[in-house]
Amino acid sequence: MFVIFTDTDTDMTPENAERFGYHLISMPYSIDGKTIYPYEDFTEFKSKEFYDMLRAGTIPTTSAISKEKYTEYFEPYFKNGDEILYVHFSEAMTMTFTNMRAAVAELQEKYPAAKFHTIDTKGITIASLIIAEEIGDLYKAGKSAEEIIEWAKDQVDCFSIYMFADDLKFFKRSGRVSGFSAAMGTLIGVRPIIHINAEGKMVSIGKERGKKNALNRLLSYVVEKGDDVKNHRILIAHSDDEEDALALADMVREKFGDDVRIEIIVANPTAGSHCGPNCLGISFHSQRRV
Amino acid sequence: MDRIIDGALFENMVKGGAENLYVNKSIVNDLNVFPIPDGDTGDNMYMTIDSGASAPDDGKGDLGSVSARIAHGMLLGARGNSGVILSRIFAGIAAGLKDTENADIQTFGHALEKGSEEAYSAVSVPVEGTILTVFRDAVSYAGGRINGNSTLDSYFMDLMNELQRSLERTPELLDVLKEAGVVDSGGAGLVYIVEGMKNAIDGVEIKHGERPVQSAAKSVNVDTFTSDSVLEFGYCTEFLLRLQSSKINIDEFDIESFTELVRSMGDSVVSFLDGTIVKVHVHTMHPGEVLNECQKYGEFLTLKIENMMLQHNETVIENRFEFKKEQVRKKFGVVAVASGDGLVEMFRSLGADQVVDGGQSMNPASGDFIKAFEQINAETILVFPNNGNVILAAAQAAGMYDKADIRVIPTKTVGEGYSALSMLDTEGKTADEVQEEATEYAAGVVTGFVSKAGRTTEMDGVSIVAGDYIGFSDDVVYSDSPDKAKAAEILCDRLDAGSYDVILLLAGGGAAREETENLYAALRDKYRDSEIIMRDGGQPLHDFILVLE
Repeated sequence: MFVIFTDTDTDMTPENAERFGYHLISMPYSIDGKTIYPYEDFTEFKSKEFYDMLRAGTIPTTSAISKEKYTEYFEPYFKNGDEILYVHFSEAMTMTFTNMRAAVAELQEKYPAAKFHTIDTKGITIASLIIAEEIGDLYKAGKSAEEIIEWAKDQVDCFSIYMFADDLKFFKRSGRVSGFSAAMGTLIGVRPIIHINAEGKMVSIGKERGKKNALNRLLSYVVEKGDDVKNHRILIAHSDDEEDALALADMVREKFGDDVRIEIIVANPTAGSHCGPNCLGISFHSQRRV
Repeated sequence: MDRIIDGALFENMVKGGAENLYVNKSIVNDLNVFPIPDGDTGDNMYMTIDSGASAPDDGKGDLGSVSARIAHGMLLGARGNSGVILSRIFAGIAAGLKDTENADIQTFGHALEKGSEEAYSAVSVPVEGTILTVFRDAVSYAGGRINGNSTLDSYFMDLMNELQRSLERTPELLDVLKEAGVVDSGGAGLVYIVEGMKNAIDGVEIKHGERPVQSAAKSVNVDTFTSDSVLEFGYCTEFLLRLQSSKINIDEFDIESFTELVRSMGDSVVSFLDGTIVKVHVHTMHPGEVLNECQKYGEFLTLKIENMMLQHNETVIENRFEFKKEQVRKKFGVVAVASGDGLVEMFRSLGADQVVDGGQSMNPASGDFIKAFEQINAETILVFPNNGNVILAAAQAAGMYDKADIRVIPTKTVGEGYSALSMLDTEGKTADEVQEEATEYAAGVVTGFVSKAGRTTEMDGVSIVAGDYIGFSDDVVYSDSPDKAKAAEILCDRLDAGSYDVILLLAGGGAAREETENLYAALRDKYRDSEIIMRDGGQPLHDFILVLE
């Protein structure tokens, strides 16, 4: 059988995963030494609670999952001789996939009949989810692993994300964005604009003063870089800033018409640990990322 | 001319290396670069090699046994990042010399190569431009020059030459070194060690063991981490863990997975397995978490945890190493004028290298600016005077200073200065472009002030009562009220605050928290389309500053 996997760093929730037939790998974060696996250690993500905790000064860390844990996830399907496709978040942002590959190498040896493939979505949160959902569509439509991998080779770079951040403290701590001036700290009323490039890395590409200008800037990317936007989903993710997410959705509808398919999502806590609260991002089908 | 190394000579060489490092370790200590952790590389490396040199004699004199004994001693004593790597180098060398009675230059050269490989493999994310690179370069260079005429002396001469050359290249590979104008400290420590080993070959007398081994207790200034400090660099955590068969199946223990586990809780991870002992070095925010996780595998033999903020704050960068490079000049530096804790902090976090104390109540003099300029090594220094009465002094200072290109951005208020600096992007731009941009950003800002009135009068059509609060902007008075928040509200109305994207409310030292919060709530209520931000500026004189952008 052909089975598909993705991970919670892509913002895939259990309900959404079920919709497409995804198996879900939980990517953990830690607070005060306690490691929490989303949707394994809790059933519902209480986003307000989580991001309020970050606002109050908690800075969670994230960690790679162990080889053993990957083995636990994959072994039943290897045993079964299944064909497995793992659609994962950006390899350029993590070390976790070293463990994944070690687990898979062992399983492959043990169960040579099974097949294993990966697709790197070269993103995180909705930058990955928009691709994972498209792949979910193809899977449900009965496409083979081979066909989906061919599709991804061409299409992964044709989805873009643009986002703004509120407080650089979190990004700086995680060291996962390049392009910030070294001395730049907490900005007040000024929002850095960030996107994920074709290498799957986050890059800072400027700043906007005031939320309104920042929202307009995000919209301008959809207009300028968008390609066949209306025939694909548009995903908006926020780290507990629903008001602005809804405002951006309205702006997109006004520009592109009411029939656009917009999904609004709360960024998962593991990714949220790196971006902090009050960030907002939009992903859409676009010209090829550079 | 010697061509053979035996156990006794090797032991002497290691002692010579320890001795030479001891004599020079303060030079190595001073090479540390903020914010690279491990404030005492020289001490750490010395204690590491010394615990190898002083490892108790087990009566076996062959080279294989001696090198194994030394390597084991270092494993137990390894401290700090460079120390742990050093201990791995000697572990690799010992592996390369296993079962040998003595070694010729070729064999010894191969053993050093093994040392380099072992050191790389112990570091989870090897960084080039460190002791790793310096050692690898030297071993590879000297190894390539071994021929029939080689002697120990010529081989070590080659090693030394390339060690020094490679050390001088480290700033090219590692930006933090370049910025601080130093070479890598671990690499420098290694140079002294190898130099000492060469001294031993040359027959220079070694005084090892005649002086007491320094204790690990250093004079730590605990005042450098206060109740308000933020833990930014975490703890340097090091331990030896004896794997326990009651806890795990030791044969199946996988050091790579274990290292990955440690790395998920911190960085600068160096770890390796020696028999059933695991050595771990990690920088972590939560040492307790690391210990708990690792204790699931065994029990601790030794344990050391240090707050790296303390190490840091002790570290004084002094470039007196003989290989030092010219300190690299930044392209842009920033000087801002402000007073009040909150405002000073705000400008610092926006990237000001120096904040000159002053403002309305106390205008800084040209000399204060010159002092600030002298603290900054940059091609161009941007100055934000942030007060109309300070611009002149800044301009004068600029005219008097010739060690950098000084550009005064004529900001008349902290609001203008804050605004210009927060939007500024200097990446890839010329001084002219940056100056122009900064001036432009500053021009788009309106700053309002609320202060206590000193006398009763009438100005700009507003009746002012002494002791009341007045709201003014750009020398025009807009409001008067016995209530400072009310004065601020009227001021906002008159300045049409709702037409701006951002309203920044800076509370002065004279404003009570509750007053500020009530005002903030009132402004939010009134100007729903603007983004309203409240900060504690702590400025004197002005109870509130309102920045409209």
